[in-house]
Amino acid sequence: MKKRLLAVLLACMLAAVSLTGCAGNNTKNNTNGNNNTPTTDDKGSTSKGNGKAIRLVNGKIEIDNQLKSFAAAYKEKTGQEVIIESLGGGVDINGTLKGYLAAGNMPDIFVFGGEGDYQTWKSYMTDLSGESWASQTDFGFKDADGKTVGFPYAVEGYGITYNADVLKKAGVDPKSLVNYDAYKAAFEKIDSMKDELGLTAVCSVAAEAGQMYWSTGNHIFGYYLSAGLKRDDTTYIDMLKEGKVDDQRLGQFADFTKMLFSYSDPTVLISGTYDDQLALWAQGKTAFVTQGNWIDPSLPDYNVKFDCGIAPLAFLKEDTAGVLADCPSWWSVYNEGKNIDACKAFLNDLATSAEGQKALVKDCGMISPYKTCTEVPETPLAVSLKSYIDAGNTYSWQWTKMPEGIAQNATGAVFELYAKGDLGKDEFVKMLSSTIADYVKK
Amino acid sequence: MKTRKINLLFGEIAGIILSIIVLLPFLLVLFNSSKKSADIVISPIKPPTNISQLFTNLGNVINNQNFSYWKSFSSSLIITVVSLALLSLFSGMAAWVLVRNKKKWSSVIFMLFVAAMVIPFQVVMLPLLSTFRSLSSFTGIQFLSSYTGIIFAYLGFGGSMSIFILHGFIKGIPYELEEAAWIDGCSPEGTFFRIIFPLLKPVQMTVLILNGIWIWNDYLLPSLMLGLNGRIKTLPVAVSSFVGSYVKQWDLILTAALLAMIPIIILFAFAQRQIIQGMVEGAIK
Amino acid sequence: MNTQLKRTFSLIEIIVGLCAMAFALYLDFTGNESSYRGILLAAGLVLIVAGLFILPTKKHRSIVNVLFLLPVLLTFFFTVLNPFILGIFYSLTDWNGIKFTKFVGIGNYITMFQSRDYVYSFLITFLYTILNMIFVNIAAFALALLCTSKVRGRNFYRASFFLPNLIGGIVLGYVWQFIFNKVFTAAIAGSQSMLTDPNLALAAILIVSTWQYAGYIMMIYVTGLQGVPKDIMEASNVDGANWWVALKRIKMPMIANTFTVCMFLTLVNSFKQFDLNLAITNGAPSRILQGKAVLSTEFMALNIYKTAIAKNEYALGQTKAVVFFIILAIVSLTQVSINKRKEVEM
Repeated sequence: MKKRLLAVLLACMLAAVSLTGCAGNNTKNNTNGNNNTPTTDDKGSTSKGNGKAIRLVNGKIEIDNQLKSFAAAYKEKTGQEVIIESLGGGVDINGTLKGYLAAGNMPDIFVFGGEGDYQTWKSYMTDLSGESWASQTDFGFKDADGKTVGFPYAVEGYGITYNADVLKKAGVDPKSLVNYDAYKAAFEKIDSMKDELGLTAVCSVAAEAGQMYWSTGNHIFGYYLSAGLKRDDTTYIDMLKEGKVDDQRLGQFADFTKMLFSYSDPTVLISGTYDDQLALWAQGKTAFVTQGNWIDPSLPDYNVKFDCGIAPLAFLKEDTAGVLADCPSWWSVYNEGKNIDACKAFLNDLATSAEGQKALVKDCGMISPYKTCTEVPETPLAVSLKSYIDAGNTYSWQWTKMPEGIAQNATGAVFELYAKGDLGKDEFVKMLSSTIADYVKK
Repeated sequence: MKTRKINLLFGEIAGIILSIIVLLPFLLVLFNSSKKSADIVISPIKPPTNISQLFTNLGNVINNQNFSYWKSFSSSLIITVVSLALLSLFSGMAAWVLVRNKKKWSSVIFMLFVAAMVIPFQVVMLPLLSTFRSLSSFTGIQFLSSYTGIIFAYLGFGGSMSIFILHGFIKGIPYELEEAAWIDGCSPEGTFFRIIFPLLKPVQMTVLILNGIWIWNDYLLPSLMLGLNGRIKTLPVAVSSFVGSYVKQWDLILTAALLAMIPIIILFAFAQRQIIQGMVEGAIK
Repeated sequence: MNTQLKRTFSLIEIIVGLCAMAFALYLDFTGNESSYRGILLAAGLVLIVAGLFILPTKKHRSIVNVLFLLPVLLTFFFTVLNPFILGIFYSLTDWNGIKFTKFVGIGNYITMFQSRDYVYSFLITFLYTILNMIFVNIAAFALALLCTSKVRGRNFYRASFFLPNLIGGIVLGYVWQFIFNKVFTAAIAGSQSMLTDPNLALAAILIVSTWQYAGYIMMIYVTGLQGVPKDIMEASNVDGANWWVALKRIKMPMIANTFTVCMFLTLVNSFKQFDLNLAITNGAPSRILQGKAVLSTEFMALNIYKTAIAKNEYALGQTKAVVFFIILAIVSLTQVSINKRKEVEM
């Protein structure tokens, strides 16, 4: 009798153990599938989650210290601890976040870079429309229903950033750099005076696909998608989403890019990273660098004394005098997080309080997307960019709407091959358009 | 006789040159972790001029939030030590049961373990994450980004080979030893722990070294299960996330690499023979 | 009396344990997220195990058998067996890492073999594997001859050749990336880094993997060479056979078995190369193939990883992994059959 009982017990235990596998799978699949409605989670979390530190994954390593000091001040003010985790230029942010999600280690506030990323993360985002900052900006990220789901923390812009002192000595007026021919003349002139100006090359561009795809495949290519268009004009991005390109426009873009590459420092061009690229320019060894106002906070590190500004990457024969400016990325609140209210309060404080505005504008050298912001930027590139914004002379960042990962997984490599001279102009146009077509088809 | 001497001399010279070439990368790491970033740019080959820079760099790296050496060192240590202890214990237990029961089920289970040694990590890594996620939600025990989970995984992955090695050894232990204990009234678990387990010492050394080197250096499993910037980081993961977050600050990256290598180099200096022997024996089996 | 007490006690333990587990599972099904749920479950399991251990019964030996096997079987089931079977299953679906909606049959396999990057990765992995096998074994055998000769300091050489193998591929990979990008370019002024050229980048990985792995394989050859009986070698010396003939005619045939072991070991390990690949090149640079850009040094293991993690195509990544497994299984079966044939011959 006892033996039988024992056998039954043992069998039950083994069954329970082995069932764990099968049953476990089902339950989890269900929870993951249906968790898009975070209401039940919310109730539980507000009662017990208070006082817990919230974790923010920031995609801009440049403002890491500034955010951390704001977080420290915020903790002093409110008692709420905010952990800032910054991922730098070369890191695959989306991949890291996916890893976090898979590992059950998702941050409470996470960064996402626009339309493509939005599609990946939309079921994990909290509706932030009700927040007071949402009505004070035009730059909030809105979903299809017009709900604000992304918190804008800065407007950024880029083009070809120049060393104003060098240009002055060379007799080039940065205001004249609005078309292909102007650039051609300027590059030639500066190239001929290289020794005199103490330059090793005219431009500092980095096109290695593994780490710099975002600069070539997103930023520089972004000019093809937006230059000369009204902010809401989506002609070329719509074509791209269908896998098509405008050959004529892309041809002009290819001409310009080729010229840009040929006047660049060859080592940095094919194997340099963002640091190398920036260092070269910041040490005064090149006149131009293809980056934007985000390099402002790094200028003191290199002891930069010269004046600088941003010029448009005007690749067309016709004049295009505006630079690409937009929100580079937004922050979203993870809807299964344990402390959603604390996250909302933190974002609100950052956007609307005097300290928050000061942190974003003064400390980070960024341009606030908020109309209510009274801080005026001090850093040179922010001032330069602000003049474009004030003049209404900006184009939007349509490239953020490209299919997710296209630069990293596909087009970045084409730019690298072009930079190395493995491709001619026509081959570049052909390969770029077929690569885009293939990527979209998938 | 003379030619032999010349040959030997030639061999010695070759040995010295080859050793230098093989060890050169380590020397370069040491050199360049003792330099400022700017000095590396000027010349990465020159010996450092100021050794104290090494300590400045070490300080910078150890205190760096993305690397946090002591934290990741202790995480690596905890994971490795606990996994090893449990692996040698559990595999020993299982191997003993499998050897001493000559039944159909025991040979089926043993064959299963042997066959599993062929399975590469890549084929199970993706479903492993989903299995562990299910397991966490079912049991309420955190399996991902936790010590429990990663140690559990190392037991699963390390078990096959450990059992295989131990199985071969236990087969060679005469059964009479156990029978004697059995007759003296020793319980089966007593027989194992008091008689068999102590006898396994030499072969356990192989098991510990093989698994220890693997677990300590493993990157893919912890990077997937713990995340690249998770709460718990092992040393390889910490180095990797450090490289990612500091885009090519070579002075600090190399210092971090140095810090990651030092524990093993020290261990190797003390237990050179055992380590080489353990790893070679593991391969031949 | 004593056994009776023991029995009652152990039964109580088992029952309490079962209740604890049942309650924990009940909490699970009712959706209670309390943190002690897991602890309760684990405690219940421990109680049951302990109870079974001390339960006085004639079946005690069987219980011990089961309990001794349980930890390994449990971990093995959840980390290897279950994911393995699930993995093969997922490769036939549109799995996205979390859930799947439909079966696609062998659709993933077709997509996979049609994609240029995979076919390229497949071929480059084979090329790398073969080259690496040759280089590592030649280097290792030569080093082994050096280390088994009578040269002074051979123990030091052994240790230093072996050392790289102890350090993880990720750390070494970053160090070598530095060497290729900074040291070599500085040593040969004005040269471009090897890692920017597709062919040289492959050569770079080969250099590092030979450097890292030869010392290990060397030690296996050393063990083999030391197994060659001394009197045979002395006899050949007396016969006046020179060093080269002795090596070719006597030593090498006698350690034929060691050659097989080393060949297969390097074959499998080169094929599975991941850490160095990730840390040195991460697949870069690109190369033009039929008008398309493909990553020139992306081996299969890295290709699988990137497909799933970076490109978020879990089902496709899993499919590639299954093929990866099949290739390795064929290699292992070949090795086993070769060994069997040898045993028969002997």
